[in-house]
Amino acid sequence: MASASSGGCPGRVEVVRPATAGAPRRVCPVYVGTCGYSYTEWADSGFYPEGTKSAAMLGLYGSYFSVVELNYTWYQMARAEALSRMVENAPPQLLFAAKLTRTMTHERDDNWREQLALYRQGVAPLGKRLVAVLIQLPPDFDRSLANRNYLAALLDGLEELPVAVEFRHHSWAVDSVFAELSRRRVTMVTVDAPALPGLFPVLDVVTNPALFYGRFHGRNRDGWRSGNMQKKFDYDYSAEELHAWCVRYLPLMAVGVDQGILFFNNHVRAQAPRNGAKLATILAELAGGKR
Amino acid sequence: MMGQGFRVRERAVLHFNVADFAVAVERVEDCRLRARPLLIAPLQAARAVVYDMSEEAYREGVRKGMPLRQATRICRGAVVLPPRIGLYHKAMLAFLKELQGYSPLIECGQADGHFFADVTGTHRLHGPPPDIGWRVRRQARNGLGINPIWTLGTSKLVAKVASRLVKPVGEYIVTAGDEEAFLAPLPVAVLPGLTSRELEQLRDFRLTTIGALAGLSRHQLMVPFGSRGDYLHDISRGIDDTAVCRPTSASETIDYQHIFADDSNDQEEVEGVVAALVSRTGCSLRGRQQVAHRVGIWLRYSDGGHVVRQSTCRNGTSGDVLLRKLALAALQRAWTRRTRIRSCRLVCDRLQRQSPQLLLFSEREGTELREKKVLAAMDALRHRFGHAVIGVGRQAVGVKGEGRGVSGEVGSTFGSFL
Repeated sequence: MASASSGGCPGRVEVVRPATAGAPRRVCPVYVGTCGYSYTEWADSGFYPEGTKSAAMLGLYGSYFSVVELNYTWYQMARAEALSRMVENAPPQLLFAAKLTRTMTHERDDNWREQLALYRQGVAPLGKRLVAVLIQLPPDFDRSLANRNYLAALLDGLEELPVAVEFRHHSWAVDSVFAELSRRRVTMVTVDAPALPGLFPVLDVVTNPALFYGRFHGRNRDGWRSGNMQKKFDYDYSAEELHAWCVRYLPLMAVGVDQGILFFNNHVRAQAPRNGAKLATILAELAGGKR
Repeated sequence: MMGQGFRVRERAVLHFNVADFAVAVERVEDCRLRARPLLIAPLQAARAVVYDMSEEAYREGVRKGMPLRQATRICRGAVVLPPRIGLYHKAMLAFLKELQGYSPLIECGQADGHFFADVTGTHRLHGPPPDIGWRVRRQARNGLGINPIWTLGTSKLVAKVASRLVKPVGEYIVTAGDEEAFLAPLPVAVLPGLTSRELEQLRDFRLTTIGALAGLSRHQLMVPFGSRGDYLHDISRGIDDTAVCRPTSASETIDYQHIFADDSNDQEEVEGVVAALVSRTGCSLRGRQQVAHRVGIWLRYSDGGHVVRQSTCRNGTSGDVLLRKLALAALQRAWTRRTRIRSCRLVCDRLQRQSPQLLLFSEREGTELREKKVLAAMDALRHRFGHAVIGVGRQAVGVKGEGRGVSGEVGSTFGSFL
């Protein structure tokens, strides 16, 4: 019924949705992966063999997972020639999500429309392997009129691409936002983060029948606002926490959705890939009724 | 040979480059300058050349080293300011201070806005290298008001080439293992360290791209380029093992420069200027309780040519008398042309801490002691009333000696002069 490596795709779990009145029994593939794959730290921590060169990491990553979130496209504009080379050398089953560049989210430039055009050209080599463009919005991006207009313009500019939006400000957790995202068939990212005031809540609202998107940032309360990535994303999810998350959110999110992707961002000491593998196993067990 | 248990890590080298550094610093000092093209050039010199220019002026055709009169004709309406080298040094030190929070291995240029930081192995403390690049840039923007380019590569070569591609603003990450493919389509002119003669030879051979150059073997390159063939072979493939060199006390310098109001070949005037620069240098050395082992004279002629000559002394000195003797010896060797001199720069390096040990022979000690007392009294006066208040007879009057500062040391912060 389900496995953590179905159809030659490691990290892919097929969650079966039972038949309901008027709707047949369907399978919702859920892909588990990590935010980024090229970390020297992961070789130090034993996830990659010791001394693994960066160029060899994507190939090795593909033997564990079938989807990866490209986070370097946040730091610099996506460049078609570099992405072409990456796709050529990537395992054939690997799918990609790509973060939108920071010049359109956290450090918005006046020329963001030109940036957007460049970005679209840059990610073009990903073709059908691009499962989502992730718009990660900064914590101070609240639901003001100006920000609503900007987000609408941004989504217009990304039309025809699969888009997911991650809010970090709680003011966006309102029905009108969900309705508009549903109308546009834009995925709203479900975030697992420390329970701190002002952050966007964990929701199981699905706004796009084509895709649900989850990001596990870790629950390190002390490190979250430290300004240091190594503290912010230093967290190891226990099997119980991941199991509880699956039981609470997954049944609602997987209903009526074509596919789902779940990423771990707690990259410190290779906790992300280990937690990803753990989650894939839990999902497979749940789908198979073993737990 | 590498011992057992050691392995070579893939390097992560960040390059930061503040484009048009002098202009960027001047614009931090006076934000009104942001609205207009800006040229930095010595105003008092009759045939001054452009020291630096803003992007707007560059787009209109102004280049570094271009005669100021020509530059102002090309870029009408540009604001012209004299260079303030000391200020640019302070800005360099302030940026260096920001960067030192992320790596102990930093290499920087002389008031030119270039920095290399080797962040290999710092990921457990500071996270992935791209994040460091982004953070440093953000800190520089928020704290200092300057916006550097940052690029990441596995070597200084790759990072440097990448920053040439994104100038004047931006960032570029060259993934490890992607160096050769990254370089291949680029023109050979973006490779650093090639002479104009070599570029000309490459053009003659129709080797216009780095990829075309990389297609040749070492033997093939050796025929036209001789021993440089190996260098060309390596850089065309993105191979560069050059270390990021941290400034050490051995690489510190004390550096003063004078630009003549009118180009001169008057021996008395030039020697007077050298004496004035020596006086400032000696004062700086004594204030830092250091001695210099080498004194260099850089002469720039009015036709753009320049000559550098040095004199050394075994024991090192901070006394004006010996410093002047060394400087004049270097000047004599450097000044071989009848062409007028535009600027004169005095650089003291190979600095060392002054020994506290007393001299063995009393008669030498007596002479030196007297000299020291005179210099100490002069330094005290200068400290209180300014440098120009006292000087030796042969010293030219009115030489301010534009301080190029002391490199390799973090001193006052950029913020202190804002």
